[in-house]
Amino acid sequence: MTIEMLPDVMLPDVDVVELDNGFRALLVERGPLPVVASVLWYQVGSRDEHTGETGLSHFLEHMMFKGTPEFGKGQIDVQTIKMGGSNNAFTDNDSTAYYFSMAADRWETALEIEASRMRGCLLDPAEFASEKSVVLEELAQGEDEPWRPLYQAVESMLYMTHPYHHPVIGYKEELERLEAADMRSYYERHYGPNRACLTVVGAIDKKRTKKRIKELFGGIPRAEERQVAIREPQPLGERRITMQTPHSVTRLCIGFPTCRMGERDDYALDLIAHDLGNSKNSRLYKRLVVKDQTVTDVSVMNETRQDPGGFFILAELHPGVSQEKVEKAIREEVLALTKDGVPERDMKRIRTQIESSFLFQNETALDLAMKLARFEAGTPNGYRTLADVLPTYESMSRKELRDTAAKYLQFDRSVVVWGVPTPQEPAKPARKKKAKKVAKKAPKKRAAKKVATKTKPVAKKKAVKKKKAGSKTK
Amino acid sequence: MSQSTIRLSIAERQLKSGLTLLSVHNPGAQTFACVTSLDVRIADEDPALPGVANMVGECLDEGTSKHSALELATATENLGAMMEGNHRGGVVMCPATQQKKATKLLREMVLEPTFPAREVKRVQAEVMTEIQAEEDDPRTVAGRLFRKEIYGNHPLGRPMHGSVESVAAIKPKHLRDYHRTWFRPAKGYIAASGPFEHEDMLDRLERSFGSFRGKAPEKAPLPKLELAKTGCNVHKAMPREQVHLFLGHLGVRRTDPDFYKLSVMDHILGSGPGFTSRCSRKLRDEQGLCYSVSAGIAGSAGEEPGTFTAYIGTSAEHRQKALEGFLAEIDTIRKEPPSEAELQDVKDYLTGSFVFALERNSNLASFAIRARRFNLGFDFIEHYPDMIRSVTVEDIREVAEKHLHPDRLAIISAGAS
Repeated sequence: MTIEMLPDVMLPDVDVVELDNGFRALLVERGPLPVVASVLWYQVGSRDEHTGETGLSHFLEHMMFKGTPEFGKGQIDVQTIKMGGSNNAFTDNDSTAYYFSMAADRWETALEIEASRMRGCLLDPAEFASEKSVVLEELAQGEDEPWRPLYQAVESMLYMTHPYHHPVIGYKEELERLEAADMRSYYERHYGPNRACLTVVGAIDKKRTKKRIKELFGGIPRAEERQVAIREPQPLGERRITMQTPHSVTRLCIGFPTCRMGERDDYALDLIAHDLGNSKNSRLYKRLVVKDQTVTDVSVMNETRQDPGGFFILAELHPGVSQEKVEKAIREEVLALTKDGVPERDMKRIRTQIESSFLFQNETALDLAMKLARFEAGTPNGYRTLADVLPTYESMSRKELRDTAAKYLQFDRSVVVWGVPTPQEPAKPARKKKAKKVAKKAPKKRAAKKVATKTKPVAKKKAVKKKKAGSKTK
Repeated sequence: MSQSTIRLSIAERQLKSGLTLLSVHNPGAQTFACVTSLDVRIADEDPALPGVANMVGECLDEGTSKHSALELATATENLGAMMEGNHRGGVVMCPATQQKKATKLLREMVLEPTFPAREVKRVQAEVMTEIQAEEDDPRTVAGRLFRKEIYGNHPLGRPMHGSVESVAAIKPKHLRDYHRTWFRPAKGYIAASGPFEHEDMLDRLERSFGSFRGKAPEKAPLPKLELAKTGCNVHKAMPREQVHLFLGHLGVRRTDPDFYKLSVMDHILGSGPGFTSRCSRKLRDEQGLCYSVSAGIAGSAGEEPGTFTAYIGTSAEHRQKALEGFLAEIDTIRKEPPSEAELQDVKDYLTGSFVFALERNSNLASFAIRARRFNLGFDFIEHYPDMIRSVTVEDIREVAEKHLHPDRLAIISAGAS
């Protein structure tokens, strides 16, 4: 069964604005609600950082809310709420994106803010120092999450030479040493119209919007072109570690190196991920959750990027279950997939699910603006790739999926990371005292653990789900 | 285009069974959502079996009179739909073209679950492991201690999932008993939202749910909730990087006449977006104490009183400073009216942003139910901006003084020491 998709579901009517300085904007007019969403997507991410400056992309994302000559400290947020809207941002390995959702009758201030902070971010040293504390708190928060250290350990071994090796949020020691001048230099090198694309979706006047974009962004000078990252060599064998964690549940994360976003194999890996682990009908769910009852849930992610990405399998074990049994079952199911491929009846179901997910990505103006920006920035053909997405899924044969699975899901190229409980000291009982006002002595600072982190997946109820890639400012 | 032009088209039909059908017309939408919300509370579960209501919700899609769990999942996925149960019913979302079949599947899941023993046992083990995993999370641990401190032995004071021990004691029979007793149509709601005419939608819902009969027993009255007489200060040490601090006390019901004034106050104090609220501006933006911080009372208001909750995740050495920061902000908002400009900013935000909640069909269906359940009226959205605009700076000070009680705060933390 295939869903009857309306013609504009995948590729809406897009007006493209191209400026001489390399800036591109995609505009989509749609109603009926009086809302507008904008996404400014920079081709700047943690892959652009060098040793000693890890975490700068994400830290800079925070600082982009700290003021410009036109919008002083706090004014970006104040102006946003005056627009009846909200804003946020995230940073991942390849990109940094800033977005607004606004009421349609007052949204254009968002354009002014984005133009102002493309080259005019103040990066005040005092604000830099204050925000560094916030970023370090964010890092600490991530280290307490059960999945992040595992996922980050997998990435650090999956990419031994490519800058995907280091966490988006950076290393604590390097963050602590960063100076405002380092950020200034990074900002000036990487932020410019040629490294950005804008998408605007909603109840807009296209003609007026085009005019404002030209006025606001047309005079901004270019930044450096992006450098090609070093190519990751083929792995010479399986890499694995066992991490001791403060958590009482055993978790497993397996990663395989794969391909770039938008390549044909990327589509095949999407279908394979669904067949392996993303529904009750998937192989790993039926085997591990239902038949063996060894894990609470299992999740599979095809995370392709602008350089070759990764394919991840995550599982959370029931207490007392043999790690070997779980890993053996996963290997057997992956091997069966590489030998037998995806059954034809399942191909139809999986395609339907994927098509439906694209339909739901159109429900809100922000979802659509984000989807357009992601494809525009992440694929060689830009947003027009969307027209080919569903036909490409439809064109894939069982044999092609089998071959693609065999090509990438090789355990002798994989990274296997186990997170196991550490025997802990008995917990102290909760201290309680009745008090009208609290006067608690400030506790001593604990030494921070040296654990690499990344804003990535978290465990959720009933599913080992991946959070939106990247790290959010707010 | 202006926000004042927004009108929702909602129609309802009352069935003899006491079930209310609601239709939200969302022209141009390519998706569809249907939400079932029956008149049953977590508090209605057997107090000897905490977690049974949650288990019912978890197991609704584990097998029905017509389909096994796998068959039901296959039927759902074949539609490109997403469906899940909860202790009040469930929700299905799908492409608009599949709404007829999806509605039937939702009906089947909500009204005809069989709770097969093998599947219940499996889900039971999953929930028990999840509870164990949550015990590792200092934020969850502190949150639970906080609710226990505020609600005491009231059902809202116990974890919705139950405990490992209580879940282990649950049998399929308990789920069937709960379902047979409480999944009844009277005072319940089925709401659908999509690009369909009201009569067609209501007819379809009636065909699906018209045979739903039966009456639930009278609900036992819930214990009366009262503000604690004094505050407390509790810390549970856990070997983590951060400490998660909650402070607050019993809050208000959704029907409280001060609800809208409190919503505005929340956004000034600690619920505003970005760094616009006082708590995030002072504790995060100016002092760099945290990544996550919030404070508010209206967001948790429901049929029973919610809580006033201020939360921060911070390093252990910042706990006291964060606590003092919260207390200072609470004190200020109780004593001094905000400036006209500060209030106007929040009004601009609230009157402009509420429209974003109307973009998804699932939100629209849930809104229709909320509007009926709390007697807000379907034209609530048309009046909402005026209600917000009428709030004055003196209103903010008055409701803060009336509803925030710094001498009765439960101060609970878990994590790094």
